[in-house]
Amino acid sequence: MTRDQLYEVAENWFEEQNWKPFAFQKKTWKAFLQGKHGLLNAPTGSGKTYALWFPIILDYIKKNPDYRDKHKKGLKAIWITPLRALSQEIKQSAERVAHDLGTQMTVGIRSGDTTTKERAQQKKQMPDLLITTPESLHLLLATKGYPKIFKDCSAIVVDEWHELLGTKRGVQMELGLSRLRALSKNIRIWGISATIGNLDQARQVLLGPDSEALEKSVLIKANLKKKITVKSIIPKEMETFPWRGHLGLRLLEEVIPIINNSKTTLLFTNTRSQCEIWFQKILEKHPEYAGEIAMHHGSINKETRVWVENAIRNESLKAVVCTSSLDLGVDFAPVETVIQIGGPKGIARFLQRAGRSGHRPGKESVIYFLPTHAIELVEASALQKAVKQKAVEDRMPYLNSYDVLLQYLTTLAISEGFYPNEIFKEIKQTFCYQAVSEDQWSWLLNFLVMGSQSLQSYDEYKKVEVEEDGRFKVNNRGVAMRHRFQIGTIVGDANLTVRYQKGGYIGTIEEYFISKLNQGDVFTFAGRNLEFIRIKEMQVHVRNSRKKTSKVPSWGGGRMTLSAQMSKLLREELYKVSLDKKEQSRELKSLAHIFKQQRVDSIVPKPDEFLIETFKTRDGYHHLFYPFEGRFVHEAMGSLLGYRISLLSPITFSLAFNDYGFEILSDQEIDMQQVIDNDLFTIDYMSSDLEKSLNSTEMARRKFRDIAVISGMVFTGYPNKGIKMRHLQSGSQLLFDVFRDYEDDNLLFQQAFTETFEHQLEEGRLRISLERIETQTIVWKQCAKPTPFSFPLITDRMSREKLSSEKLADRIKRMAAILSKK
Amino acid sequence: MTQVLKIKNNTFILHPLSVIFWEQKSMLIISDVHLGKVSHFRKFGAAVPQKAIQKNFDLMTEAIEYFKPKTICFLGDLFHSSINKEWQLFEKWIIDQNLEFILVEGNHDIISPLRYEKLGVKVVPEIQSDGFLLTHHPEDRAGFFNFSGHIHPAVRLRGAGRQTLRLPCFFQKENQMIVPAFGQFTGSHSLTPSKKDKIFAVTKEAVFEVEV
Repeated sequence: MTRDQLYEVAENWFEEQNWKPFAFQKKTWKAFLQGKHGLLNAPTGSGKTYALWFPIILDYIKKNPDYRDKHKKGLKAIWITPLRALSQEIKQSAERVAHDLGTQMTVGIRSGDTTTKERAQQKKQMPDLLITTPESLHLLLATKGYPKIFKDCSAIVVDEWHELLGTKRGVQMELGLSRLRALSKNIRIWGISATIGNLDQARQVLLGPDSEALEKSVLIKANLKKKITVKSIIPKEMETFPWRGHLGLRLLEEVIPIINNSKTTLLFTNTRSQCEIWFQKILEKHPEYAGEIAMHHGSINKETRVWVENAIRNESLKAVVCTSSLDLGVDFAPVETVIQIGGPKGIARFLQRAGRSGHRPGKESVIYFLPTHAIELVEASALQKAVKQKAVEDRMPYLNSYDVLLQYLTTLAISEGFYPNEIFKEIKQTFCYQAVSEDQWSWLLNFLVMGSQSLQSYDEYKKVEVEEDGRFKVNNRGVAMRHRFQIGTIVGDANLTVRYQKGGYIGTIEEYFISKLNQGDVFTFAGRNLEFIRIKEMQVHVRNSRKKTSKVPSWGGGRMTLSAQMSKLLREELYKVSLDKKEQSRELKSLAHIFKQQRVDSIVPKPDEFLIETFKTRDGYHHLFYPFEGRFVHEAMGSLLGYRISLLSPITFSLAFNDYGFEILSDQEIDMQQVIDNDLFTIDYMSSDLEKSLNSTEMARRKFRDIAVISGMVFTGYPNKGIKMRHLQSGSQLLFDVFRDYEDDNLLFQQAFTETFEHQLEEGRLRISLERIETQTIVWKQCAKPTPFSFPLITDRMSREKLSSEKLADRIKRMAAILSKK
Repeated sequence: MTQVLKIKNNTFILHPLSVIFWEQKSMLIISDVHLGKVSHFRKFGAAVPQKAIQKNFDLMTEAIEYFKPKTICFLGDLFHSSINKEWQLFEKWIIDQNLEFILVEGNHDIISPLRYEKLGVKVVPEIQSDGFLLTHHPEDRAGFFNFSGHIHPAVRLRGAGRQTLRLPCFFQKENQMIVPAFGQFTGSHSLTPSKKDKIFAVTKEAVFEVEV
């Protein structure tokens, strides 16, 4: 068939559905059939799946003219999805096209939910089209004879690439692609991404910088015009609206009419605990909604989640309280309204959530913003602007992630083994490892084989062996088994499954939370009140309880930051406060009384002012700084400034950060005049000071946790299988200390610091902020009491960073042991 | 800087190396060394730095040189796992010491007592002496003051300005003293004391009594 005939086949199909293909879909078909690689920029629910399933199937038709009668077996295309919950939906659309076009192609899913039986069948005979996750792809690379499976694979599509980019799963994907490219010479690589700031870079990471593939690739933008309206929920009684908080329950009643006035409403919360609480509270205050509202988050079991998703589709729910678990995929046409509770911390995310409503082409999307505390209304006002300007943030890809590379090399070693020269060439073509040197490479190989850089007597290190012909191979079954368990841990926290004592899976929960519970304690989980009975074989046994409780598990991963663009908009909004009233948005006007109070206690800074406030409370001496640059920059600036202050005289303090500023809290008063006189905000020596400050805080230590798990140094056991390896479990904290004391030149140990530098602290942005502060006048206000701006910061008791330049002995003298409450 | 305690007319010196010296018996009490743990991890493919292995021996030697005891008593968990090559290092080390060695068995001590006895290390389930009871697991037994290990105790401290600090400690109750873990590659477990307890926090340089 000629290409034109193939297009006709596709267009006929669309006609039969009474649809018309979008321009971006046709463009993608064409590019694909021309043999090009590419990145498709299209939002969820735009028909992006058809943009790529079609050419994949058309390509098969082209190569197999007798496709109607004969079935050429074997894997032809892989579809990668970051969330396995999405695979069912993708499968259905693939099957539909494959069937309607008269092929006999089969579609299969392979993910953590796939049964062992199914896996075995797949191994015997792969489906033509395979839908899988990055982890499951690596597990395939860990099976013997994998090159044969991929030999004739002609396409791989990475869906929701923006979600993977800038994460270690993204790095895992880069490595997977590098291998596939070598196995199947004609493979076409495609990514699908929502709009992010660095789309061009996204394409580069997917295809490899300077690669032939990149040269032969296209970037196709869907450019669907979509009207998005943002409406802020402004409290009626602004005077009593709290200055701090993160739950937003105060405005619960405002949500009720919105829910009543639309078919289905999604309420997005930022954390799973917030999600649990909102769900509970709505039902408590409005029991009439029983059965009509539901909850959806990542820790709830799959059946419940699928049930909720289906219920949204068939319009049997009024409202769903959810987290980012509903950000992606799955087309929910009946959703009319979306409510965002608390700052979304990102414009891309906010737009994506807004796009969940009015999902049909041409329909308007409406999103309500519900502030959880007063100052957040400034953010709401900035968001309005951001949506108009589509000021979307970047996703920064990782460089030199040795942990993921070591995991990958072990993966190859347990299946077919690998020859270093061959693999080194492949990984050098990826974005992440483009700069890895020969020295670093041989360090990694030594680490795999000897667990160190030189052979020692008395050592029994066992992992990868070098065979006679130079092949790196794992021959020990135990090593191989433990490694397979480890592959899925990249997202990794120690999770335990929650079950009823008599059976019945409820969900997963982080070990950290459970470790704080005693037998008989009641906690809220998955919308139920559960009594903790015991932990047995990595399972948490519970029973239902009628007792009231305030304990709600907190899950990690809630820490996000404002982008540079968004921070700028936020500052601009704030500066308007000192300007003409006419310029101010509805949100800003509603905050008038707070700004008035702020002016009484301190000042509202103008564009050329940098505000510092100091005051004393029962907690100690508070020192507040307001750069309005987003959390991560504040973390960096706080550490930097903290470190420099600690050099002036011995002092101990804790640091708190939010998107507006940071606080240094100490039991001693900091001489602020000295801070100003000594120009501690200078850019000079910024990098080296920041590096030194890292050693005195805990940030790198936290990064090391993931690195230790991913690289296989900390074995987490396998909760779902009930396999514990107690004798092999050690805290990554302990490991961190041992590395610091005995082997601080270890690349994995160093990686923790580089990552903190590049991903946590955003050194580049810090420099720009400091440059801006240099042009501003520092205004230091000695306040009598906490100011409205300071409130959210000084009340943050969680997630504080610590720094000390005092002698331990001096500190201990002023401290006391924390007593048990009994 | 050490701490000196009088218990039942006996003198005990708490040392920052996480050991206790019992003056009347000239006995050095060391708990939870977990020798072989690093090698054990390495054997299973986790590349814990090898240099941590030698440190345990160096520190034990340092403690011995400081107190010059007649007897060394290990309060259990001397060896972390089944036998591995660290045992050979242990053999070499112990031959150099001309002292009496006693091991009070702990839950990790699965290596045959015969091997220990060959080296002249006496293996016992517990020691009773002059109203003192030395065990691995903490125990309450009428009429005895108990020294034990097993827990790897640590304490969390709090100060003004929302400071917190976590340190390994000697944890003393009315009739009991739990000794911190000696091993370089061992974790610790935070205990929350009550008003009746005494806490001696351990830093690199000193042992401090902490206000409870």
